[in-house]
Amino acid sequence: MDMLIAKNLGVSAALPDGSVPVIQELNFSLPQGKVLGLVGESGAGKSMIGRTIAQLLPPGFSVTAGELMFDGQDLVRMPAETRRELLGREIAFIPQEPLSGLNPVLTIGRQIDEHLARLGIGNARARRDHALGMLNDVHLSHGADLLDKYPHQLSGGMCQRVLIAMAFASRPKLLVADEPTTALDVTIQARIVQLIAEMQERDGTSVVFITHDLRLAAQVCDNILVLYAGRPAEYGPARSVFAQPAHPYTRCLQLSNPAMSGPRRALYALPERMPGLSAIKGIEGCLFAPRCPKVVPECTRALPPFVDVADGQVAACIRPETTATIAAPALSASDAPQAGVPLLEVRGLTKTFRIGGGLFRNRAFTAVKDVSFTLHQNEFIGIVGESGSGKSTVARMLCGLERPTEGEFEIDGREVSDGSTSSRAHLRAHVQMVFQDPQSALNPRRRIASIVTQAMEAAGGTSGKERLERAEALLLEIGLPPDAARRFPTQLSGGQRQRVNIARALCVAPNILIADEIVSGLDVSVQAQLLNLLMQLRRKRGFSMLFISHDLSVVRYLCDRMLVMYRGEVVESGPTDRIFAAPSHPYTRTLLAAVPPDDPSAVWSPQPLETDVVAPADMLQEANV
Amino acid sequence: MIATVFPLVGRRLLSSVAILLIVSMLLFVVLHVLPVDPAAMSLPPTATLADIEAMRREMGLDQPLPNQYMIWLAKVIQGDFGASIHFRRGVLGLVADTLPATVELAVLAMMIASALGIVGGLVLFHVRGSRKEPVVDFGSIMLLSIPEFLWSLFFILIFGVALHWLPFTGRLDPDLRVPAGTGFLLFDALMAGRLDIFFSAARHMILPSFALGIAFSPTIMRVLRSSLIDVYQEDYIHLARLRGLSERRILLGHALKNAILPTLSLMGVQFGFLFGGTLLVEVIYSYPGLGNLMVDAVRNADLPIIQAVGLAYCAVVLIINTVVDSLYMVLNPKLRLR
Amino acid sequence: MMRILPPWLRSARVLGGLTIVVIISLCAVFAPLLAPHDPNEQDLIATFLPPVWAKGGQAAYLLGTDSLGRDVLSRLIYGARVAMMVAVLASFGAMMIGGTLAYIAGYFGGRIDSLIGRAVDVWMSFPPVIMSLILMVGLGVGLRNVILAIILVDWTRFCRVLRSEVLVVARKDYVAAARLVGFSHWRTVTREIVPATLPLLITLVSLEMGIAVIVEAILSFVGMSVSSNTPAWGQMIADARQYIYDSPWNLLFPILAIFFAVFGFNLLGDGLRRTLDVRLTATQRV
Repeated sequence: MDMLIAKNLGVSAALPDGSVPVIQELNFSLPQGKVLGLVGESGAGKSMIGRTIAQLLPPGFSVTAGELMFDGQDLVRMPAETRRELLGREIAFIPQEPLSGLNPVLTIGRQIDEHLARLGIGNARARRDHALGMLNDVHLSHGADLLDKYPHQLSGGMCQRVLIAMAFASRPKLLVADEPTTALDVTIQARIVQLIAEMQERDGTSVVFITHDLRLAAQVCDNILVLYAGRPAEYGPARSVFAQPAHPYTRCLQLSNPAMSGPRRALYALPERMPGLSAIKGIEGCLFAPRCPKVVPECTRALPPFVDVADGQVAACIRPETTATIAAPALSASDAPQAGVPLLEVRGLTKTFRIGGGLFRNRAFTAVKDVSFTLHQNEFIGIVGESGSGKSTVARMLCGLERPTEGEFEIDGREVSDGSTSSRAHLRAHVQMVFQDPQSALNPRRRIASIVTQAMEAAGGTSGKERLERAEALLLEIGLPPDAARRFPTQLSGGQRQRVNIARALCVAPNILIADEIVSGLDVSVQAQLLNLLMQLRRKRGFSMLFISHDLSVVRYLCDRMLVMYRGEVVESGPTDRIFAAPSHPYTRTLLAAVPPDDPSAVWSPQPLETDVVAPADMLQEANV
Repeated sequence: MIATVFPLVGRRLLSSVAILLIVSMLLFVVLHVLPVDPAAMSLPPTATLADIEAMRREMGLDQPLPNQYMIWLAKVIQGDFGASIHFRRGVLGLVADTLPATVELAVLAMMIASALGIVGGLVLFHVRGSRKEPVVDFGSIMLLSIPEFLWSLFFILIFGVALHWLPFTGRLDPDLRVPAGTGFLLFDALMAGRLDIFFSAARHMILPSFALGIAFSPTIMRVLRSSLIDVYQEDYIHLARLRGLSERRILLGHALKNAILPTLSLMGVQFGFLFGGTLLVEVIYSYPGLGNLMVDAVRNADLPIIQAVGLAYCAVVLIINTVVDSLYMVLNPKLRLR
Repeated sequence: MMRILPPWLRSARVLGGLTIVVIISLCAVFAPLLAPHDPNEQDLIATFLPPVWAKGGQAAYLLGTDSLGRDVLSRLIYGARVAMMVAVLASFGAMMIGGTLAYIAGYFGGRIDSLIGRAVDVWMSFPPVIMSLILMVGLGVGLRNVILAIILVDWTRFCRVLRSEVLVVARKDYVAAARLVGFSHWRTVTREIVPATLPLLITLVSLEMGIAVIVEAILSFVGMSVSSNTPAWGQMIADARQYIYDSPWNLLFPILAIFFAVFGFNLLGDGLRRTLDVRLTATQRV
């Protein structure tokens, strides 16, 4: 029996210049006990589907066509009170941000208790017992202690477990999980996904799993629906969609994702980005046509019909047979320049923070402990680790934003960690940093030209005209049109802003670039564009880079060597290929196993971290930091 | 839970004492650059220059300022705030006589301000996005623009002079006598079983306390409204809706508990201002409290009183802040458990 | 026409507030031209006249006369001079001191920040009215000292609110980036942080002007501000209060004048805050 059926569902948004389709022609059916994956980049409309199920759409948005049947009832047309009765009982939700999903001023116990009371468990004693049972089911030990805790005392993973427990408290028929693991570290992500699967199996729940991660969706879901600009691009059984994508967009997404195994291949980078709401109206015919590598004039005539390509697999493409011929460009041999002389030498770098800082309590927290490595000319080193591993602190120390507590580092043979004015100048000339969040890294009040040539402004002695010329040259180099120089950061997209961010760092032509999670917030197609840009710049300019990332596949694609950090220490280091092929440290092994494999038919067996069994006190401390 | 709050409150009190000490120092310095000579003022006009000189020496005015301060502080610690030059009475007694009246007025006004502020904030929040919003919001800016002393005068004009509804001078009807006791008139009247005094006192307090309370409520309204709007952007509110909780339950059980925190920390600051606002209100309503004592002292350049009353104001404000901060810590688990 | 205006000039609040402020400023600047009478001219046979529309009013005295037979309208118009002078000078002075300290505290943080924070704590433990009164005792009466007292009391309003905003901006990566490409502290603050906080600063100045008008009125009310032959709203209120039964009108008009001025500044401030998109945290957003 089908639990959730969308029939020709359409959602529109009222914009100042008329109504725009946000979701169109959505069709799917989700059988009981199965998992449907909604996959797409940001702006594809996948979260909007989640909100449509609850009928909690943003102001101005409304369902304009079709129906959405849950267990035989139309969710769109039923009275609001009836729907509210279903929410939390028959239909449960798991959010993207577990930490902000719980009310910060109420204890975990209070929040679970409130939910159970609504579900109709009248007796406080019974509710407490029930709550303890629920926490036990999601493998949270020390449940009784946990009930008295507040959300900020828990880690993100623990919060997500609590939310999962609450979602399954009523044994719902349908679960909507909106990017439930995106905000979590990769090892925790694996465990949360396993937990959801376990609970789902227990209760026979149908799941709508919303994610941007095609690889994860292939592992978790029975069926996959790929969305592009609010319209389904491809729909079908997960394995076959992944093995033989019929829509060019699905194929391109796959090719823009760096591989975790096999030979290193170049990334396929789609041009531009997904059209926003206001741009959709201006596109004739297939919405993907402007970016499609296989586009032909017919594509722009009308919206493509849904074509059956295989058993149960449908694609919205008039020429699905050409999709298989899309291939990423080959990596040329010159892509890996030979490493040269040592440029940066780090010895025993340690950073201790004092927390609390009061009269009475003073705790020291060692964020980075005894880190040593050497970065050679033309070499890309990746630093991999989960949140709290100290990788960003290493970056901040190396560019002078933070003073090391112990240890030193020299650049080009000169000791620079003393913080003196001449050291800073030396550091500045050789090392530049690319920040993680372009939103925060670009002053919204400066024009792009002024941002990228800030270093010239600081040095003085250059005219406005010279700076503008330099800015235009830099923009050209990082793949932006020269007229972007006159714009403000808010007029650019996320990917473009990150390019500007890189251009600013390149302005002084540094030997060493430190990049802290510079692709983490971006969609895969934009990520692929940036990674290719970095490769291209590397060939052309020949610099070294310290690439900090939590994403193993990206590091594998970009870096020659890597360091794996865990709790402030480097647990393993060496050539990237060697570590991926034969990880020696157990943590590295766990980390690698936690990433879903490239091949959807391969068995994904993330192993529990050996240090998983942490005493709650220890975990609380971690969460507090 | 309470046990964890104690050390924090203790720390807060300790810093309050330090602040009080610094304030007393500043007060001392400000008041001693005065062009008037307190020694000459405290003597009858017939006094000779030699008398004045002797008085100066006796008062320690010939010493350098830091020494004078230490002498003064030593006396203050023993409870000796000096004697008023004008009233020829111990300053401590004067302050003790008037402080309860002011505190009584201020506490009543704070209750009115909080009640109006919270109700008004909920109304402002409720009309958000509707057609009524600009009107209500405009009204709240108008309210914000009327300080307590304008309300006081306005109330006198309307309810006193034009309508003759309520009295607007003093604390009691002239034929009644203040009963002995704590100085908190409403309380003392009840203890003495004198309902006539109680009602007379209450009638006298209506106008001044409302003038003060109304003046300080719009700030509270607007902060509560903004913090509610902020809180409603949070994921946990959305998730509570997805769990099927009713809007009423979300507001009372989830949103208000979070939105009250910024409101509360603002109330601490506002109530400090409110306590200072009593001064004008007292002057306008001839209400025998600290404010009238202060204004008289200022007109007579009565330094010992100014000093002591200034410190009294400051001490009460610090107490208010400590109370509000402690409440904040009780309500905010993030501060409590660290 | 509307298209070429910057957004902050298109807001009804800003326009309304600006209109009021301009009217009062015009009164202040052109008082001798606008006022029908000399504000200190006494007409002892025409005391306590009601305004022209009430019974017994005279056309020569549009808003009536006070206890000494002086024209209320003219005194109101001249009173705008004192109000505006205090509003402009005091708020500017308070902004300079409070703003500078806020930038220093928020940008450098650490010990200097906690020192300035302590100073603000000390100031905040004093109700502003009480503190300005005590300062007036120390400084002596007079308009110049009123301005000085307001500056010395109200710099904390700027410092408190602005500091937390500076703290937010200073943590932005673009500030770190500016330092990394070699900006000096001075240049980082003036080029990166000040522009980001300017809208807040302008908004605060507007609100502070309203507060300054009130404080001046309070101080003239208790007789600590201008000398008795300079007309000021607070003084008019103090005079009228003694004759409240003889002429309630005399009390009403200066009350309305003060309200009108403060409302204008508040409306302007609120409009600027909205249109300049000053993202205040809830507590600052009053």
